[in-house]
Amino acid sequence: MKKTIFTLLITASLFSNAQNKSIVILNAVAHIGNDSVIQNSIIGIRNGKITEVLDATNAKIELSNYDEKIEAKGMHVYPAFIAPNSTLGLTEIEAVRATNDFRDVGSTLPNVRSIIAYNTDSKIIPTVRTNGVLLAQITPRGGLVSGTSSVMMLNGWNWEDAAYKTDDGIHVNWPKMQTRSWNDNEQTMGASEKNKEYTKQVNELKKLFADAKAHNESDISEKNLRFESMKGIFNGSQNVYIHANNVKEITEAIYFSKSYSLKKMVIVGGKDSWMITDLLKENNVSVIVNRVHDLPDYAEDDVDLPFKLPALLQKAEVLFCLNNEGDMEAMGTRNLPFMAGTAAAYGLTKEQALKSITINTAKILGIDNTTGSIESGKDANLFISTGDALDMKSNNVQHAFIKGVAIDLNNEQKALYDKYKKKYDIK
Amino acid sequence: MKKHILLFAAFIASIYAFAQETYPVNGTTNINHVAYAFVNAKIIVDADQTIDNGTLIIQDGLIKAVGTKINLPKGAVIIDLKGKSIYPSFIDAYTNYGMPEIKKGNSWGVQMNSNIKGAYGWNQSIKADFEAHKNFVSDSKQAEELRKLGFGTVLTFQKDGIVRGAATAVTLADTKENNTIINEKAAAMYSFDKGSSTQDYPSSLMGSIALLRQTYLDADWYKKDKTKKEVNISLDAFNNLQALPQIFEANDKLNILRADKIADEFKTNYIIKTNGTEYQRLDDIKASNCKLIVPINFPLPYDVEDVYDSRNVSLTELKHWEMAPVNPFALEKYFIQFAITTADLKEKKDFYKNLRKAISFGLSEKQALKSLTTIPAQMLNIADKTGALKAGMLANFIITSGNVFEEKTIIYENWIQGNPYKINEYNTIDARGLYNFVYGTDRNSKQLKIEGEIEKLKVTVLIDTAKTNADISLTGNLVSISFSQKDIAGVFRLSGNVNADLKMNGKGQAPDGSWFEWTATYINAIVAETKKDSTKKTQPKFGEIYYPFTAYGKPLDDREGFSKVVKDFKTRYDAILIKHVTVWTNEAEGVLKNQDVYITEGRIVRIADNIGAPKLAFAKVIDGTGKHLTPGIIDEHSHIAISAGVNEGTQASSAEVRIGDVVNSEDVNIYRQLSGGVTMAQLLHGSANPIGGQSALIKLRWGKTPEEMKYDKADGFIKFALGENVKQSNWGDMNTIRFPQTRMGVEQVYYDYFTRAKEYDIKQKAFGSQTKTKGEAPAFRRDLELEAVAEILNKKRFITCHSYVQSEINMLMHVGDSMGFKVNTFTHILEGYKVADKMKTHGAGASTFSDWWAYKMEVKDAIPYNAALLTQMGITTAINSDDAEMGRRLNQEAAKAMKYGELSEEEALKLVTLNPAKLLHVDNRVGSIKVGKDADLVLWSDHPLSVYAKAEKTIVDGKIYFDNEEDSKLRMEIEKERARIIQKMIEEKKGGSETQKPSFKRKKLYECDSMEHDYMHE
Repeated sequence: MKKTIFTLLITASLFSNAQNKSIVILNAVAHIGNDSVIQNSIIGIRNGKITEVLDATNAKIELSNYDEKIEAKGMHVYPAFIAPNSTLGLTEIEAVRATNDFRDVGSTLPNVRSIIAYNTDSKIIPTVRTNGVLLAQITPRGGLVSGTSSVMMLNGWNWEDAAYKTDDGIHVNWPKMQTRSWNDNEQTMGASEKNKEYTKQVNELKKLFADAKAHNESDISEKNLRFESMKGIFNGSQNVYIHANNVKEITEAIYFSKSYSLKKMVIVGGKDSWMITDLLKENNVSVIVNRVHDLPDYAEDDVDLPFKLPALLQKAEVLFCLNNEGDMEAMGTRNLPFMAGTAAAYGLTKEQALKSITINTAKILGIDNTTGSIESGKDANLFISTGDALDMKSNNVQHAFIKGVAIDLNNEQKALYDKYKKKYDIK
Repeated sequence: MKKHILLFAAFIASIYAFAQETYPVNGTTNINHVAYAFVNAKIIVDADQTIDNGTLIIQDGLIKAVGTKINLPKGAVIIDLKGKSIYPSFIDAYTNYGMPEIKKGNSWGVQMNSNIKGAYGWNQSIKADFEAHKNFVSDSKQAEELRKLGFGTVLTFQKDGIVRGAATAVTLADTKENNTIINEKAAAMYSFDKGSSTQDYPSSLMGSIALLRQTYLDADWYKKDKTKKEVNISLDAFNNLQALPQIFEANDKLNILRADKIADEFKTNYIIKTNGTEYQRLDDIKASNCKLIVPINFPLPYDVEDVYDSRNVSLTELKHWEMAPVNPFALEKYFIQFAITTADLKEKKDFYKNLRKAISFGLSEKQALKSLTTIPAQMLNIADKTGALKAGMLANFIITSGNVFEEKTIIYENWIQGNPYKINEYNTIDARGLYNFVYGTDRNSKQLKIEGEIEKLKVTVLIDTAKTNADISLTGNLVSISFSQKDIAGVFRLSGNVNADLKMNGKGQAPDGSWFEWTATYINAIVAETKKDSTKKTQPKFGEIYYPFTAYGKPLDDREGFSKVVKDFKTRYDAILIKHVTVWTNEAEGVLKNQDVYITEGRIVRIADNIGAPKLAFAKVIDGTGKHLTPGIIDEHSHIAISAGVNEGTQASSAEVRIGDVVNSEDVNIYRQLSGGVTMAQLLHGSANPIGGQSALIKLRWGKTPEEMKYDKADGFIKFALGENVKQSNWGDMNTIRFPQTRMGVEQVYYDYFTRAKEYDIKQKAFGSQTKTKGEAPAFRRDLELEAVAEILNKKRFITCHSYVQSEINMLMHVGDSMGFKVNTFTHILEGYKVADKMKTHGAGASTFSDWWAYKMEVKDAIPYNAALLTQMGITTAINSDDAEMGRRLNQEAAKAMKYGELSEEEALKLVTLNPAKLLHVDNRVGSIKVGKDADLVLWSDHPLSVYAKAEKTIVDGKIYFDNEEDSKLRMEIEKERARIIQKMIEEKKGGSETQKPSFKRKKLYECDSMEHDYMHE
C-alpha cells in the first residue's frame, strides 16, 4: 500500500501544473454526494467541469480522449468538502491580534465584506485542503450584524480568483436572551440573567431591516452603504444567516425573518434546533449545525447530544450541514470530515454524513448547481483519498481538484516533517 | 394585669442591675438584687430533662435554683407561668452579630504583597490577629431579630479571610458589651475564602489550602525557634488561637472532607460550618468525625413552568430543593453531632418555618433542641454558662405557650442575663381559624378567616363566594376589624373583644354611619395544603441519593447514605467474562482475534481462546462478537474534575499547591470521559507559572469520593511550564509585573528554585539526622514549596512540563542535566520533533496534541506529524487532550497519527494507553491487557481507532463504570426524576410558596491557561 502511495505522489506532481487538461479517474469508489455510491467508477473531467460519471462495470469510455488518466482502484472519490461559516484566511495566529481580521467595531455592519480580507496565502489553508476541504464560506464575526460572507475556493493567487460565490449572505447574531458573567467565588460561570438589553438589541435589528427594506424600495438617491449591502436578502439573491442556539432565540429569529419576508434564512449554530424541527421545516429554514465535536451545555443532556444532533435533524428531514465555529476554528477546519464521521457513528449513514459536508452545504449556501456532488455538468471540485475520508485513520488525500485544477497537496507542516525526517535519517 | 406592670418595672430596674462596676454613675446608684421566681411552669432543663410544674429562681442575672420543691426567697417577684413552658435560650454558634462591616479594597492590577502595614505575616488573608471581642459593638436591631427567635447567646466573628482570628461568645442582651461578652475568645475561625484580601495569592482553592498548611508549619516553627529571627504578629496570634475550639467554614460537602484532611495533618479538630449538602456524601462525612454547624436555609422552589427555561435548573438543584430539609434528620440518624445555625438564612424569620420543615422530614424535636442549646454550648466551651437551665448558669431562657417547635406556640419573653425581652404579650390570643361571622342588619351567615403569623395576621371576609381582605388589630382581648363590602362603597369598621374560647362580639359602624352588632364564632382551624402532611405524620417522600449528586450519578452499593439502597440481586457481579472479542493487548502478542477475557477482583485473570462459563455466582458474561477490547484510555494531561481554580499563577512558583487537594468527584465530565473510554487521567495544574502545582492521578471511579478516585500507587508529579503562558504574553497589558516576562527569565526561575531547593534539602536532611541523635534541635522551618522542588531532586517527584518551542525545551533539559534531575515528560511539546535527538539523550518522554497549532505564536511550527516522528525516534510518546471535549475522543486523536506519519494501528493505540502509562510510571499496573494487570478496559463497537467506534462499556478495576445500555436508562431516569420534582415544585408554588428564577450555571471547563477568565487556549 505504501508503495502505491509513493508512485501516486509522483504522478500527481507530473500534472499539478496542468490547467485545462482533461482527466479521467478510473475504478475508484465514487461517493456521489446524493446518497449513491458507484463501487467502480469512471469520472471524466474537462475544462474544469465534470463531464462523465459512469459505472465502469457497465460502461466503456475512450481513454485516449483524456490527457491524463488516474488509476484509483481501491480508492475513494469524494465531492469537495465545503466548510461553511469559517474564519479561514481571516486569521493566522489567534493570540496575535495583528493577524486577526474577522471582527470589526460596531454592532451592525452588513456592508463589511470578508472577501477582501481573505488571505489566499494563509499558511493554514494548505493544511485544510489536504484533508479534502476545498471550499469555504469565509465569514466575519461579532456584533449584531457581523457582515457579508463569501464562498471561496481554497486555492488561488488572490481573493479575486479564489472567489466562488461573492457576497453570498449576511450574518446576524441573534441577541442572547440570557447573559452570564464569571463568578469569581465559585470559579464557574455565574448565574444567567435575563439580558436586559435583549429587547433593545432586537429592536435595533428590526429597525435596521425595516429601514434597509424601505430604503431599497424607495427613490432616495443618497447612498447608504449599510442598507444597500442588504439589498440581496430582500430580493432573494443573498441568504440571511442568523446565528442562534437557544430554542427561544431560534424561534424568535424565524418569526423575525418571516416578518421581513426574507427569502432564504439559515440558522447557524442551532444547538436546540432538534426541539423545534416542525417549525424549521414549516418555514423552510435550514441549519448550519453547531460543531459536532462539542460538549453538551447541560449536565443532564445526553452525553452524545452534539454528536447525534445531525442525526436528529436528518430524522426530522430538516436540511442541515456541518461547520466548525468555535475555539481554534480556522486551523480546526481540517477536522470537518471527521465531524461528519462522528455524526455517522451517531446515527447518520456514511453517505448522509458525507452530504452534510458536501451537497447539503452547497444547497444551503446556494451553490449546489455547480458543486456539492459528483455529477456531470458540475464544477470538477473533488478529491481522491486512499481510504474512507471521513475516518482519520484512512483519510489520505492523493489528488484534489478545484474547477478541474489539481491542487498542490504540500504544506509547510509536511515540509517540516520531511526536513526533520531527513535530519534524523528516518526511512 | 398587675403582674405586667410589675414586670415592666422590673425590666427598667434590672437594666441598672447590670451597671458596670468600673463605670461612674450619673445620678443615684440603683443596684438591684431582686430575685425572680417563675412558678408552676413546665421547665425544659435541657433536651433530656423536663420538670412539670416547676419553679425557676433567678437573681443577679443567674439561675439560683430549678426544681419542684423549692422555697421561694423572701421578697422575690413571683411570676405564675401556669400552662406555660420555660426553655433555655438558644445558642447560635455562627453569626457576625455586632461585627464591623468588611470593606473590600480596590483590587486592580497585580498585587504580589500584603497591603497591611506593620509586623504582620506576608499574606493578607491570614487575619489571625483579629479578635472579635475587641471589635464587638452590640447592635440592638440585630439582637432583637435573634431574640425573637429565642436565641440568647451567639458566637460572633469577622467573616473575612482564610484565618479569621478569634470569635467571641456574647449574649444578646441590650446592655453594655462589658457584660454581654461571656467568653472573650471562644473559638478560632477559618475558611478557604480569602475574603477582602486584595493580594493575588491565593487565587485558587488549592492555593488557600497550601497557604493554610504553610501557616501551620510557619507558626510551629515560630513557636519553636528560640533565635527569634523575626517578630511576626500574625504567627504569634495564630499560635494563640490553637488552644481554642477550631471552627472551619466549608461551604460544600467536598470542602468538609478537604478541611478534615488539613485537620488530620496538623493534629487538630475542626468543627465545620457546612452548607447543608452533607446528606449527599453522608458516609464520608461521618467518617471524618467532625462536628458540624449546619444551616437550615432550604432552597425555594424554582419557576419551572416554562419547559425551555426549566432546563436551567439542574437535576442537582431540583433534587437539593426536594431533599435539603432532610439534611438535619440524616445527620441525626447518622449520629453526627451538629449544631443548628441561623446563618445563611435569607430572612431570619424563616427560621421556624424551616426548622419545622426539618422536623417534618424526620428530625426529632429532642435533637433540634440539643442542636440549639447544649451542643453549641459544648462546642464553644460555654456549657457551664448557658444552654441549659441549671443553678449557676446565666438566666437565659424563653417563656412559651407550649412546645416551642409547634406552629401554634407563642414565645412570650426571652430572658437574657436576667432581663426580660418581651416578644408577645402573655394574653396574646391565637385567633387564627375559621369563624361564623355575623354583622349588620343582614343576619345571613358569613365567614371570617384569620390566618398567617401571629404577628402579622391575614384576614379574609367570605360572603358567599366573594372574598374580601380585611385589616385586623388584636391587642390582648381587644379586637378591631375593617373591610369593604363588594357592593357598598366605603369601609365597615368593627370593634369588640375576643375571649379565650375565641368568641368575638362588639359594635360596628357601616360606611353610612349606622351602628350594628357583630359576632364571630370559632368553627375550626384552617388546614393549609402543606399542613396535611404533618397532620398525617407521614414522612415526606423524596428520591434517592445519587453518587455523585448530579445527572448521571446513581445509587452506590458501598454507600448507605441515610436511605440505604438495596441493590438488585440480578445486577450484582464480582467478575466479568467477555467472550469472542478482538483483544488489543499492547503486549508482544499484538491483536488477538476471538478471545475470551476473564476479570475478577479488579484484575485481568485469564485471556484464552475459550473460557467456560465461570462457576462463580456473580459473573457477568458479555458477548464481544465483532467488538474490540482495548486497555482503558489514559489521558496524560487533563483538567477535568478540579474544584475552584486550576492555576495558582500568582507567583512564578506554586510548587506547594496540590491538585490532589481539590479533585472534584462531582464533575459530569468524568462520566463523559468514561463514555469515551477514558479510565485514568492525570489532573494537572495549569501553565500560568514556570513551576506549577503538584498533579493528581485519578482513575475515573465515577461516584466515589476524591480520595477514592486518586490512584494511590502513583508516583508524585508536578507541572512545570514554559513559554508564552508563564511569561504572560497573552494576558493583556496589565500583566507585565510578575517575573518572568521572557524565556530568559524562565531559566533563571529554575536555577534559583533548584539552587534553593538543594540547600533546603541539605538543611532538612541534616535536621532530620540531628533530631534522631540529639533529640533537641534548632527549629527547622518546613517550606512546602521548596520541599516539593527538593522531591524532584530526590527522584520522588517527576516533572510534566508544558512546552512548545525547541529553545525552551533544550533549556530545561540543560537545567536538569546541570542540577541533577530529568524532565520526565514534556507535555504539548509541539516542537519536540525539532529536538527529538536531544530529548532522547536526556531521556524525556513526550505527551503531545495530535494536530493543534496556530492558536498562538509559539505553536506556529507545530506539526501533526510530531507524535509519529517522536515515536519513530524512540521517545515514549503520548497524545493528550487538555480539553474535556477532546478527552472523550482520544482514540480518534491517536488515529490521526496513522494519517500524519503512518504509525501502525498498534503504535497509534499505545499513544493513548500504554505510553501515557509509561510516562506516569504506572505501566506495571495499567496500559495493556495482560494477566495480573488492573482490569481497566474498554469494549468498543468497532475498530478502536476508527471514527465510527463507540465505547460500549468502560471498565475500571473490573467494574463497569460506563455502560451504553445503562446510559440510555439513566437518560430516561433523569427525565423522569426531573419531571417528578418539577411537578412537585409547581404544586408547591400553587400552594402559595415563593419561588426563585432558574439560572443557568455552566461548569467551567479548565484548560492550561485558565486563570480567572477565559484566556487563550493551550
